Amino acid sequence: MTTRALRVPTRREAGLRVVHGRRARRPVVTPFVVFVLILLVALFGIVFARTSLDQGAFDLAEMDRKIVAASTENAQLRLEVARLESPARVAPLAEEMGMVFPTERETVVVERIADPTAPTDPRWASIGRYAAATSEVTPEVEE
Amino acid sequence: MAARPAARRVSAAELRIWLLGFILVASWFGLGYRLFHVQVVQAEEFQASGLNQRLETRTLAPNRGTIFDRNGDPVAMTVEAESIWVVPQLLEDVVYTAQSIASITGRDWEVAYQAIQRGLESGTRFVYVARQVEPVTAQAVMDLGLPGVAIIPEAKRVYPSGDVSAHVVGMVDIDGNGIEGLEIAYDEALTGTPGQMVFEEDPAGNVIPQATREVVPAVPGMDLLTTLDLSLQFTAHEACAEAVERTGAKGCWIVALHAETGEVLAMAGNPPFDPETRSGPDGAPFSNFAVRGMYEPGSTQKLITFAAAFDTGAITPSLVIGAVADRYETTAGACESATDEIYGCFSDFADHATVDMTVADIFTESSNVGTIKIQERIRAGAMLEYMNAFGYGVPTGIDYTGEARGIVNNDPGCTSCLASTAIGYNVAVTPLQIAAAYAAIANDGLWVQPRLVTSTVDMDGEVFTADPVTRQVVSQNTAWVMRQLLANVVESGTGKLASVPGYRVGGKTGTANKLDPNGGYTDETVASFVGMAPIDDPKVVIAVVIDDPAAEYRTGGSAAAPAFADVMEAALHALGVVPDAFDG
Repeated sequence: MTTRALRVPTRREAGLRVVHGRRARRPVVTPFVVFVLILLVALFGIVFARTSLDQGAFDLAEMDRKIVAASTENAQLRLEVARLESPARVAPLAEEMGMVFPTERETVVVERIADPTAPTDPRWASIGRYAAATSEVTPEVEE
Repeated sequence: MAARPAARRVSAAELRIWLLGFILVASWFGLGYRLFHVQVVQAEEFQASGLNQRLETRTLAPNRGTIFDRNGDPVAMTVEAESIWVVPQLLEDVVYTAQSIASITGRDWEVAYQAIQRGLESGTRFVYVARQVEPVTAQAVMDLGLPGVAIIPEAKRVYPSGDVSAHVVGMVDIDGNGIEGLEIAYDEALTGTPGQMVFEEDPAGNVIPQATREVVPAVPGMDLLTTLDLSLQFTAHEACAEAVERTGAKGCWIVALHAETGEVLAMAGNPPFDPETRSGPDGAPFSNFAVRGMYEPGSTQKLITFAAAFDTGAITPSLVIGAVADRYETTAGACESATDEIYGCFSDFADHATVDMTVADIFTESSNVGTIKIQERIRAGAMLEYMNAFGYGVPTGIDYTGEARGIVNNDPGCTSCLASTAIGYNVAVTPLQIAAAYAAIANDGLWVQPRLVTSTVDMDGEVFTADPVTRQVVSQNTAWVMRQLLANVVESGTGKLASVPGYRVGGKTGTANKLDPNGGYTDETVASFVGMAPIDDPKVVIAVVIDDPAAEYRTGGSAAAPAFADVMEAALHALGVVPDAFDG
């Protein structure tokens, strides 16, 4: 058995060539990435808007509750005022303080002074006892 | 001949696989079909079903309108209260729970206990134990932490002046529906229109924000502006209480009218009535005799008799009626029969000699015999015509339920009826009717329909009013003459106790024996006084009716006139009426 040395093929013979690497470029933002980004922003926007609306709804509900509470308190206070002003409460207190209705002696009449016992209308002179008393009109006696 | 290939035998294992495969495929088809059915065919139905589970509809109760007096002071209003309720099945100790709640609310614990027991027996899971308590009280109950106890808000009708105006304003039931007085007469206007709120809620009962929410707001009831003057109403209320106490009477009723407008300034009665507990003394029911009760007016009726006589020309102011005795027969022998007036024997209140009397003196001294003689001068049928014109026998039409018509006896076969009617028997009126009749005299002969409410006001502030009915019943001259005769009664006749310092007052006393249910008359009386002031230009007409005063106060002059004076004085001050005169 004979031996021979192993032959190493040349580069050309192997069909190989040197390939120079291309210069590295900045990564390009593809439409897909843009789409995803927009989607994310929209998603966050929707979540934020929804949260804000919900917060607004809660605030509104809280405001409604406050309005109802204030209305209730207002009605109770109006009732209390009405009870405090009621004549049934005020009159006894006024009486305790010595208050009374003004009489005619405490009432000043500026323009008109009349005698309460005298007829104020001349037609009265023709009636019944006054007619008889003054004898200006002859009484008509029933037959 | 070629041999047939041997048939391939299917093993049991393959069969099972095929069967399983078939079942799986069939199942998928089944599921697919179901999915399609649910998602497409029944989609709307399931959507609606799901929505229904989340949707809650709540009725929004409208606020009942407020009732005001003529000065804008509330006499009936609605406030928020809390009602305490329990789930009977959740209570650990029924007696302890009922007593604990009652100790705070101040109500009878046995009532609550019995309500809970009934709930346990019927299996209901909602039982009221204390309705319409103050919110503070309800919170104190909740602070006890009793299991099975809860509260819900509920509207409550309250009357700030208590029982002062109860007979007019009336009351509502526990659910806020009007059942008496103005509360029922104007129930529709006061109630308003319920609203509705539709919303979605989660299983825990929380409202889901941004979900379906529809609100149809409730329309509040209209407010009533009444003609009452609360201060004067209080005075009348107190005057009645004082009169009942002083005279030992069974009851007292006072009606005060504005002479020109027919507005009821006050309408009070005794025994009193509490509109919040819905009961009178000893559980007595609601009543308003001023509108619904009838009585024989006695001598106050003479105003109608004299007005008819003057207006028809049957008498003149200068006429003297001759030979007025203290007894008079319309049926021969009636006075000898030892029976009473209904058989034709009439007598004056006190014995006196037979004398000639002027028309004015007959009225001033309230002579029954003289009045019957005057009635006999009136043409046939005129008396009834005038009573009808003055509003007898028909309701006045006041805005109040259950008004009595009164009674006018028009029996042509009755020989003594017109004589009885002339002096206030054989006829029945309500206190309001007689007050309205006197108001016609005060108002120069113009009868004005009484009213309790001047206007209703809706939530936008729009005011609705109605003009009262009016009619001329006697001439101005007749009315003027009658006012002078009424003044005479107070100045020198039977109504001296009705005088008011500073004002010229006119009025008429009335004392009528009460009918015996078994026939005839009893010794009990209805004492009354109806009058007006100031007599030259009357602003106020007041009727006071005292039911069955003690014997020493049996007349209108002693029982009713003092109460009239108290209320009239307050009314004239309230309306700012200038005194007629003062003596310096």
